[in-house]
Amino acid sequence: MAELTGREGVADALPPIAASTQLLAVAWLRWRIFLNNAFRRQPKNKRQIAGLVFAILLRMVVWPILALMMVGPVVGSGFLAWLAISGGRPQSLAGLLLGITLLWQFVSINGLSIAATIQSFDPASLVRFPLRFGRYFVLRSLLGLLTPSTVVGSLALLAAALGIGIADASLALPALAAMAIYALMNIYLTRMIGAWMERWLANRRFREIFSMIMGLSFAAIQFMNLQRSPMYAHGARGALFLSAMHSSGPFVYWLPPGFAAQTILLAKHPLAAFGQFAALLASAGLCAAVFAIRLKKQFLGEHLSEGASRSVSSQAAPRVRVPALKSATRSAPAAAGAAFSPTVAACLRKDWIILRNSGTQLIGMMTPLLLVAIFSMSRGFSASLAGYFLPAAIAYTLIGVLGPLYNVFGADGRGAQLYLLAPIRLRDVVVAKNLMSLAIIAVEAGIAWTVVCTLSRAPVPVSAQASTALWAVFVVALNLAIGTLRSIQAPRYFVPGQARHPRAGTPTNRTSALLVLAVLFGSMLMQVPVAIASSYFELPWLAAWIYLPLAAAAVFAYALVLRNAEQLILEHRDVFAEELCKA
Amino acid sequence: MTTPAIDTTALTRRFGDFTAVDHVNLRVDAGQFFGFLGPNGAGKSTTIKMLTGLLAPTSGSIRILGEDLQARSAEIKRQIGVVPEGMALFGRLTAGEYLQFVGRMYGLDRVTTLNRTRELLEFMQLAGEQTKLITDFSHGMQKKLAMAAAVIHGPKVLFLDEPFEGVDAVAAGTLKAMLQRMIARGATIFLTSHVLEIVERLCTHVAIIHRGQLVAQGALDELRAGARRAGQAGIEVGATPPEAEKRSLEQIFLEIVGTDREGNPGAAAPEQELSWLS
Repeated sequence: MAELTGREGVADALPPIAASTQLLAVAWLRWRIFLNNAFRRQPKNKRQIAGLVFAILLRMVVWPILALMMVGPVVGSGFLAWLAISGGRPQSLAGLLLGITLLWQFVSINGLSIAATIQSFDPASLVRFPLRFGRYFVLRSLLGLLTPSTVVGSLALLAAALGIGIADASLALPALAAMAIYALMNIYLTRMIGAWMERWLANRRFREIFSMIMGLSFAAIQFMNLQRSPMYAHGARGALFLSAMHSSGPFVYWLPPGFAAQTILLAKHPLAAFGQFAALLASAGLCAAVFAIRLKKQFLGEHLSEGASRSVSSQAAPRVRVPALKSATRSAPAAAGAAFSPTVAACLRKDWIILRNSGTQLIGMMTPLLLVAIFSMSRGFSASLAGYFLPAAIAYTLIGVLGPLYNVFGADGRGAQLYLLAPIRLRDVVVAKNLMSLAIIAVEAGIAWTVVCTLSRAPVPVSAQASTALWAVFVVALNLAIGTLRSIQAPRYFVPGQARHPRAGTPTNRTSALLVLAVLFGSMLMQVPVAIASSYFELPWLAAWIYLPLAAAAVFAYALVLRNAEQLILEHRDVFAEELCKA
Repeated sequence: MTTPAIDTTALTRRFGDFTAVDHVNLRVDAGQFFGFLGPNGAGKSTTIKMLTGLLAPTSGSIRILGEDLQARSAEIKRQIGVVPEGMALFGRLTAGEYLQFVGRMYGLDRVTTLNRTRELLEFMQLAGEQTKLITDFSHGMQKKLAMAAAVIHGPKVLFLDEPFEGVDAVAAGTLKAMLQRMIARGATIFLTSHVLEIVERLCTHVAIIHRGQLVAQGALDELRAGARRAGQAGIEVGATPPEAEKRSLEQIFLEIVGTDREGNPGAAAPEQELSWLS
């Protein structure tokens, strides 16, 4: 055994730790985590190598699309800022800045779950180290500066400053200064919202309320959008945006976007410009202060989890009595006599109880239906479009419910061990999981179908309904087949509703999430040539005939996967233990 | 009178209506190997979290090495080491990277950090796992690493929450050797464990917490012989009784915590038989 040297660690008077030492240590930590995430994957067999290659190829397709999505707001901001100054509509600058802020914060809030898949440590865990609050505040301010929303938002503001500078060179410097502080205000606003949301979202009831508010917000935006621009004509929407920018100026005059815009526009009146700049600085300071208040509580040891209330209930709960066990055993024969085997029935019952208690998930299921209803009532969908709208509505509804098929064991965590230990057929567990998913899909799609057919301003042709049904069977069966394989080969532990858990953020891993989108959008795109051919040859039932064999093939593929599920799970026992049981 | 290493006054933590820790007065003198015992859910981990500054108390005060924890948390954290219940390691680092990070966070210079990292990895028999990420470590390896991280800066007080849980005999031996070295150099160790044999073998002093209240506290020898039955709270053990009256720590523990709410011994056992198991 090696010897440990020295007693130098127990010095009585310790010199202060330099701030740079700790800040650089955390920067080094992030860098090492990034490098290890990126390059320290060691595939152990051919299947894992194939998976890695596939994941890389998938990213090569998806990342350029994401890059384009990031470039758009940056170029657009620069152009609109230039247009506002050179086009003689400077008051619309405040509207533009407000738009950037809204987009920035919206993406940040919705990006929490995506960020959880990338982050591999919780910055709050740094409180255990000997940090002063000031340093902790600085660290928390710096960590997360490279998130997509912050990078794109900052670049958009820089582009806006450049646009203003190009339009009027005398405004370049004030624009740069104002945009820098405005970016700082946005960064602290993001952190402030994030920190307070973390506090509130620790409460299950608030999570449900928040989900409902977000769902209703989406629905309201879509509703207003449809009322103002029913056909989604880009010209009309662009005009609407410019008009909103122009008219929002007076309203945001007393808000940070107004302060930033006035700092630039009043540059020729230094005193007034300085006043606006001071107000902008104060708003940035206010956001930082509110963020700091939350952080201070966290630093001093705040308890956010709902574990305590569970402790209360566990204390208050009566002692477990034998009769309860007897009733459980009595229910087994009854289940056996039912439509499903006892294993399937027990798993279905367990998942139903979990779903019934998950308000957030139920609210999440309602949102797409609400949007489908709004779209169905729209004036824009004429008789000629009704046939196309049904498959689009069903596809839209399916986006949210197909994901869970790719990680059916994820929420079970360590409980998945029971499946391996119990004297049951593992295939029954997979069947039960998929049955529950199918029931959810059927309910969602069924409601969406009814809504479209009932509210649509024109009847949906029977041929369109038949082709949509067959297409849906094809897509669902294909996703079931691939999803079951992914559930077994790449399970990922997750806690429903806890998006910021460092290891347990999202229901599927990123490759599975990309696969869901690829399969869904691929099959949606497939509808285009089929629809064109159907229309060109005037054969309304052509689509149904094309989808029929595809649906049959997908069902056959799923049956094949199901048949081998038992063996596949046994082959992947180590993956289960690694990914789920170590959670 | 010497300054105690750990001193709490009426330490209380409530979660809503539930009181997890209720007016606990703890005193641990410097150099003691202190065992903090209690059944599941008694309030051990909550207490240790408060003592290490990870959880704010609802009321009461904590003094570590004579300093108020609330007022001088950064200074005190430099003098303590912690192996928390969940270990709180950064899984996407290697063991070496993690120890280097921890060393730098505690203000060690680069050379000292590297030297201690190397020594600790060798001592903990982790030197052969340099390229492995922590997330791929076994539970025992993670415990050893967490212990290494807790002592890399040479703390004066070491808090260990269930350090031997899920650790094999070989790893436990390594951990114990490390702890004995710490005690030999004058450090104070505050340890919670369910393994009473280990506590009995290592600790000189113990305290027992039950339903959030401290029900016994004192030197192990005194406790073995002193309290006949300690159903009521706050027993401080005094004079050392004759050797013949000594009982095992397990007996004492069961006598104290194996009571129902009225203090009747043995009533915590199940009321009904599991007939179908016989």
